[in-house]
Amino acid sequence: MPTLTIDGKKITVADGTTVLQACEKLKIDVPRYCYHPGLSIAGNCRICMVEIEKAPKPAISCQTLSTEGMVVRTDTEQVKQVRSHILEFLLVNHPLDCPVCDQAGECYLQDYYMKFGLYDPKFNENKVKKQKKAFPIGPTIMLDQERCILCSRCVRFTDEITKSHEFGIVNRGDHSEVVVSKEFVNPYSGNVADICPVGALTDRDFRFKCRVWYLENSPSVCPGCSRGCSIEIHHNDRKSHRVEPKRVMRLKPRFNEEINKWWICDEGRYNYKFIDDNRILLVKGAEDWPSAVKTLASKLKNLAALSPQSAAFLLSPQQSNEELFLAEQIFAQLFDRSRLFLVRPNALGYQDAFLIKADKNPNTAGARALGFSYAENIVDLLSGEAEKGKLKALYIFGQDIVSLFGDDARKLLKQLEFVVYQGSNRNETAPLCSMTLPAAVYAEQEGTFTNCDGILQRFTPAFAPLPEAREGIQILHDLAVKLGIKCPGPKAREIFARMAEKAHAFKGMNFDRLGRMAQEKAALC
Amino acid sequence: MPVTTKVVKQPNMSFMVRIYFPAIFQGLALTGWHFFRNLTLHILHKFDLFKDVPAAVTYQYPEEKRPLAPRLRSRHRLTKRSNGSPRCVACMMCETVCPAHCIYIVADEHPDPNIEKRPKRFDIDLGICVYCGFCVEACPEDAIRMDTQILDIAAYSREGMYLTMDDLLNPENHGAIVLRDPKRPQPASQ
Amino acid sequence: MLEHVISSTILSGIMIFNVINLAALHTWLERKQSAVMQDRIGANRAHIGPFRLLGLFHPLADAIKMFFKEDFVPPSGHRVLHTLAPFLSMVFALITFAAIPFGDVLRIGDMEIGLQPANLNIGVLYILAMLSMVVYGVVLAGYSSNNNYAFLGGLRASAQMISYEVTLGLTIMGLVMIYGTLNLQEMIRWQGRLLFGFLPAWGVFMQPLGFLLFLAAGIAETKRIPYDIPEAESEIIGYFTEYSGMKFGMYFFTDYVETILLACMSTALFFGGWQVPFLRSGGFHWGGTLVLGLPHLLVTLMQIGSFTAKVLAFCWFFMLIRWTLPRFRYDQLMKVGWKMMLPLSLANLLATAVILVMVGN
Repeated sequence: MPTLTIDGKKITVADGTTVLQACEKLKIDVPRYCYHPGLSIAGNCRICMVEIEKAPKPAISCQTLSTEGMVVRTDTEQVKQVRSHILEFLLVNHPLDCPVCDQAGECYLQDYYMKFGLYDPKFNENKVKKQKKAFPIGPTIMLDQERCILCSRCVRFTDEITKSHEFGIVNRGDHSEVVVSKEFVNPYSGNVADICPVGALTDRDFRFKCRVWYLENSPSVCPGCSRGCSIEIHHNDRKSHRVEPKRVMRLKPRFNEEINKWWICDEGRYNYKFIDDNRILLVKGAEDWPSAVKTLASKLKNLAALSPQSAAFLLSPQQSNEELFLAEQIFAQLFDRSRLFLVRPNALGYQDAFLIKADKNPNTAGARALGFSYAENIVDLLSGEAEKGKLKALYIFGQDIVSLFGDDARKLLKQLEFVVYQGSNRNETAPLCSMTLPAAVYAEQEGTFTNCDGILQRFTPAFAPLPEAREGIQILHDLAVKLGIKCPGPKAREIFARMAEKAHAFKGMNFDRLGRMAQEKAALC
Repeated sequence: MPVTTKVVKQPNMSFMVRIYFPAIFQGLALTGWHFFRNLTLHILHKFDLFKDVPAAVTYQYPEEKRPLAPRLRSRHRLTKRSNGSPRCVACMMCETVCPAHCIYIVADEHPDPNIEKRPKRFDIDLGICVYCGFCVEACPEDAIRMDTQILDIAAYSREGMYLTMDDLLNPENHGAIVLRDPKRPQPASQ
Repeated sequence: MLEHVISSTILSGIMIFNVINLAALHTWLERKQSAVMQDRIGANRAHIGPFRLLGLFHPLADAIKMFFKEDFVPPSGHRVLHTLAPFLSMVFALITFAAIPFGDVLRIGDMEIGLQPANLNIGVLYILAMLSMVVYGVVLAGYSSNNNYAFLGGLRASAQMISYEVTLGLTIMGLVMIYGTLNLQEMIRWQGRLLFGFLPAWGVFMQPLGFLLFLAAGIAETKRIPYDIPEAESEIIGYFTEYSGMKFGMYFFTDYVETILLACMSTALFFGGWQVPFLRSGGFHWGGTLVLGLPHLLVTLMQIGSFTAKVLAFCWFFMLIRWTLPRFRYDQLMKVGWKMMLPLSLANLLATAVILVMVGN
């Protein structure tokens, strides 16, 4: 446990901590390009130079281990000069194409130039031009070798994290360049665009779509699989309605020590188009929301009076814990608890040992914790009941049962008197239902998901729901009010508080302490 | 804050000013003189006499245009490269700096691999534009200018005020515009 | 009797026709004269085919526009009064012309026709009475619009008109004392005399101060600049704020009709009406002897022409004033009316009376 002094402040750090990490603990900003907390240390960009007492010349802080009694200075004139000169070297061959560069605005060359550079350029020679400007190296990534400063982060990422070894640096001196050995196809390929500190590796999906300074940044949780990676939703609230009215521009990983560290998979990264595309925009089967809720409430009341078996509810593991809990609170009062089925809305998929899980739903564990388990052959079961006349109505929470079960489901929907579809996107099932309620997507609502390891994560709305869409918990709460059932809500916080009282798995939990919303944003760099 | 007072002195008006009548006659004499002078000139002009003495100082607007200062900020245009394509590289600096949010750009990949970006759409909603000229200042490529000297912009609908990239590249298609000063730099096609 | 009715009808027709057309031309005159005074060209765009006629089609275009605009009555306004008000203004302004003589007696054969729609022996009083009635149109407009601004405008207008009518009446009284009659035709005949053998005995020479006061009060009566506080469209909005279309047009028109009326009155009372200096029935006279003999019809035409020319000159002059002077503030307007013009007109009346007594007729 060495104790060292940095800029006059004393700090004791664990063994093996580098000077740079110690500086970070003291919130002293030391520039870095090649250093990334998730990767091994290369020490080749040299920008993180600091002055260490008794050392003959400045040393790179990222690779220097802290030792007892070390005295470090990051703010001397010499350090400033060294940084500025190293930056000038790094920028020797960097093209001045910031206006067309997607990285502009979140580029560490720009940032550090403004902070530590601002030198008078002494470089008179021509910049090295490459054969091709920017070219795709795979389905997701664009490479521009001219912009590369050879920090080797991408090389280390493919060597150490994915172990697929696609990237390498070849040639020497002025001719060195990053190359890929083969087409860069990798389930985690998008991460290299994140870690690239300059505009050399950019995301093809995001390319030219939006300037980064338009983006708002909202923390959220990836609903793509049961891993539940922490993500940031980057959305553009400024773009005029005259140009494509898309809100979400891209998703980025958010540092979470316990779940996904600094990374996310491509499947999750590009799984945002459903937020703006192909949405259910209007209530169908009723004039407007109040009348829809009214109709629904009176139907459910009549059915409940008829028989507690006469309706079935297909709950989904895409729903938040609050929504599932609220659905149980309401419908188990009117009907048998056994009429609530948990139905998987999609098939099992690809999985690997790193992040990607086969279960593509974010809240399977949460649904289990609330006492639901997957119902098998649900359509066969319900069809049998419907034929006997036992089952009259169905309430579907987002599952596209027609695509899942084919004609059986179609037949079932025809047999039933009343089918409600509550979901966010258009699919084959929705038009066959007698009532469609447009629901919000995860980015538009608040709630919690429980991931495969049992970690409860809270997500908050990045933006308001589409004009007609409503949050799932809001819909259920309105319905409960119309039915005359007492239930908490309509805010997720209130529902969670009740859930923490009632549901065993959530005992004693506190909504405000939940999740990592308040956690300091760890360097994505 | 202490109350401060400022003593305003009423102008000391002489008797002649106070009775007001001399001023009335002065005014009537002035306007009357202008009336008869201009009337005479108007009549003389009908007979092609004294044509060089103007009877009216106004411009007959649609036919006759007022000479404009070369630096006047008028309707925008996009400059072209030598091959006729827009100089704009869709960096969105103008869109960013625009205080009225009237510029809409959609960027696209340029077919030439050595040029990265180009605008797919470049629209300006003149119904929102405040003619501040920030877009011209911000442009790193000299791709947008406000020197068309087109001021008479009118439309029957809001959509009519909406200029697409084609309109902006070819400002001469919109209304007859007479450039009065031959020394002015002509719309560039370098 | 029948002849009398027919001749009166024809004369009224001629009068109304001329007045209305002149009022319409006033809109053109207003535009063109102000333009020439201000080194502009003025409205010249309205055209039928290639003909622009110095912008003479603009009054026509205006009229078409006015007729086709929406006739708006404020929902909370008084519909009947709102509609009635502009008609009242217009009608009282027009029927005032009944007492205006535009020529001497025309003899056709045995018939003698006084060139005047109605030869009233109290013509001056009639004119003053009718002028006062115009206030009703203004007040009702403000009242029936149910708009505070319009209402205040109406009150301003009525206060102004009543204030200045006092001066107007008192200045005319001086003339009545001199002429010794209330009959306008008789007044004009009286002005055919010569002062000192060469100067026509026009009212303006008898009552110079009275003329100035009459002119100022008259302009105030017509509600035109510098006395256009009732409208003052650029600052405090006026009584016809809630009027649109032709009803608004009628107020507009009434203003011009009143201007013409004022021009006619000024001519008749102060500038010898239809009198041409030295021209009497039979021809030009100098010192009691006939210098140039002229036929009766020509003399009558010359007299009518003289009247018309004087009226037009006054119209021009009023327009000149309207485009030269700035508007009075309301307190200034009241101060001028009550504290300057009223005492001055009383003094004028007193002086006239004293002189009349001293001269002893």
